[in-house]
Amino acid sequence: MMRVDAVVIGSGAGGGVAAAVLAQAGKQVLVLERGRDLTFEQIGRDHLRNHRIARYAHRSGPDYEDSPRVIVDEAGNEQQVRAHEPGFHGNATLVGGGTRLYGAQAWRFLPADFAMAGTYGVPAGSSLADWPVGYDDLAPSYERAEWEIGVCGDHTASRRHWTRAKPYPMPPLPEGLQARALRRGADALGWDVLPVPMLINSVPYAGRAACTRCRHCVGFACPAEAKNGSHNTVLRRALATGRTRLLAEAVAERVTCDSAGRVTGVRWVDRSGARHVVEAEVVVCAAGAIETARLLQNSPTRREPQGLGNNHDQVGRHLQGHAYAWALGEMDEDVHDGLGPGVSLATLGFAHHNEGVVGGAMLADEFIPLPIAFWAWNLPPDVPRWGAGNKRYMRENYRRVMRVGGPVQEIPSPHARTRLDRHVRDRWGIPVARLSGTTHPETLRTAAYIAGRAREWLLASGARRAWTAEVPLRLYAGQHQSGTCRMGDDERTSVVDRWGRVHGHDNLYVVDASVHVTNGAVNPVLTVMALAYRAAERLCADW
Amino acid sequence: MRLYQLAILVTMPGPIRSVTPQQTATLRAVVDTIVPADEYPSGTEAGVLDYLDGQFGGDLAGSRACYGAGLDAVDAEAGETYGTRFDLLDPVQREALLRALESGDTRTPWPFDAAVFVSTVVGHVMEGFYGDPGNGGNRDAVSWRMIGFEVGE
Repeated sequence: MMRVDAVVIGSGAGGGVAAAVLAQAGKQVLVLERGRDLTFEQIGRDHLRNHRIARYAHRSGPDYEDSPRVIVDEAGNEQQVRAHEPGFHGNATLVGGGTRLYGAQAWRFLPADFAMAGTYGVPAGSSLADWPVGYDDLAPSYERAEWEIGVCGDHTASRRHWTRAKPYPMPPLPEGLQARALRRGADALGWDVLPVPMLINSVPYAGRAACTRCRHCVGFACPAEAKNGSHNTVLRRALATGRTRLLAEAVAERVTCDSAGRVTGVRWVDRSGARHVVEAEVVVCAAGAIETARLLQNSPTRREPQGLGNNHDQVGRHLQGHAYAWALGEMDEDVHDGLGPGVSLATLGFAHHNEGVVGGAMLADEFIPLPIAFWAWNLPPDVPRWGAGNKRYMRENYRRVMRVGGPVQEIPSPHARTRLDRHVRDRWGIPVARLSGTTHPETLRTAAYIAGRAREWLLASGARRAWTAEVPLRLYAGQHQSGTCRMGDDERTSVVDRWGRVHGHDNLYVVDASVHVTNGAVNPVLTVMALAYRAAERLCADW
Repeated sequence: MRLYQLAILVTMPGPIRSVTPQQTATLRAVVDTIVPADEYPSGTEAGVLDYLDGQFGGDLAGSRACYGAGLDAVDAEAGETYGTRFDLLDPVQREALLRALESGDTRTPWPFDAAVFVSTVVGHVMEGFYGDPGNGGNRDAVSWRMIGFEVGE
């Protein structure tokens, strides 16, 4: 039987940070990662099988045959979906998790993001709530994440939105044609803009090279290792201590617990299906909002028959991500200059305090679209989907059509949730996740407002026409999935305390976006990292 | 956005059979109606059939029989409307026929939804034309050069 100080389940944004902090504090750490340890070549640049557009089974996990999910749609119909299909709500599943492939936008949550209920009131039927912590509590951890994992950005511009002690460790990436056009539009409208902070090396940093400006950023691994994720920063440092063992293709099946409620370790399954048990002083869950909730639900005890931390039926509820509101504009001039990553300039002017709606979103331009994704998603509604006219439009406008959009902060619903399916099991016999519910309808009112601002920005930036589409009422819990083990002081309405510790369990932690009470008006990954630093530092201090 | 339709085709009952020479001729004509030649190569000239061949041995192995049945049905429609095979129609007639099928306007019995068949085939053809050359189509990255995905190369 293996015995360690801490087991960390998941090697993505939260798990990597937790492993590094624990190992650097002298603890023996075992990291269990469900996905494979893939090289750049294995991940590849396959335009049909990636985490941007998945027309066929992923090359970078989750594996096709491993585990389906059951999705119950708005009409109550249920369907089994596989990992690359719509409705699965997946995250990249490999060593490094989503950070290996992500777009790497490095936003701090805005102060008002932590106080949505207090700022706007609670819409009927929603579970909107304030966080038990605020921006000031997290600021030091954000700073640590920016420096230790590596963020480029504009300190001066960012200080208009956040209290920031230290500048970013790197200047922003040079701006291209999209940003030039959007600055012109923002000037005309009198809007404040700022460069998008990125977990990308704009200059050589921490022993790795600068971004080569390739066209395959989001959804792919970086050829220059200039994109900073768990795999090339914190996980590497955790392993360098000699006190961390990282096991890929190791699926956590159950967190084990004694009769007094003290967590004793983890039972896990290897690729062959063999079961193993590892004993630990502390278990840290960082498997993502759906898989962390599933793991807790799959770990029932006599005291907690619905799973660890779930005696108040909170684990798996408030499942959310981001509804994306956007507009596309057809410009008079080329805005595609072939220089990645593409996303470059943002406004935070509509993240909060918009007339008549709750919350809002950051708005920015888009990553360079893959040609097949451009065909699938970026054509105006009046252009035929095939034929000579389609081919001509693709040729004349691929470089002229620009998308502006942003992650609308969801108004959470307690009915949007992940549970265990009673019948369907994965290849190891473990009950799979059953997803149901939708975002709250208020989210869509905000999305419509934000799409309008995106359109306005494009037209002011020189678009000869711009279009958008209605954001549908459904579940949004893919790559930004969050909310299923929400943080709070009251164990009846939350799952973890303000330090990420599961209520009622002194030695069980959650350090992924499951703990987010709301998911911010911006991309959430830097907040996952900051919260993991904060939780792991406190855990070590109390040990 | 993604291929819900594919799942429908994969689960469609039907006899397993190989694609006949006539079906290949029809497929070739359908592909070049979806991506016709202009100053740049057509779908088949850019390797879309090579892409589909590869996929029929892989991800789309389960769709091959449905393709055969769908192509036969397209030919039957051509016979009913124009009195000849689809591949013998002129480009205007081919496009008109596929547009009609795409909108669900059929004149002969279909083994499955004609509109789903057309939109699914369109999706596969675009994958072969705009996808990465590593997938077997988009020969010499011709579509990428056509649209300017790779600026300055």
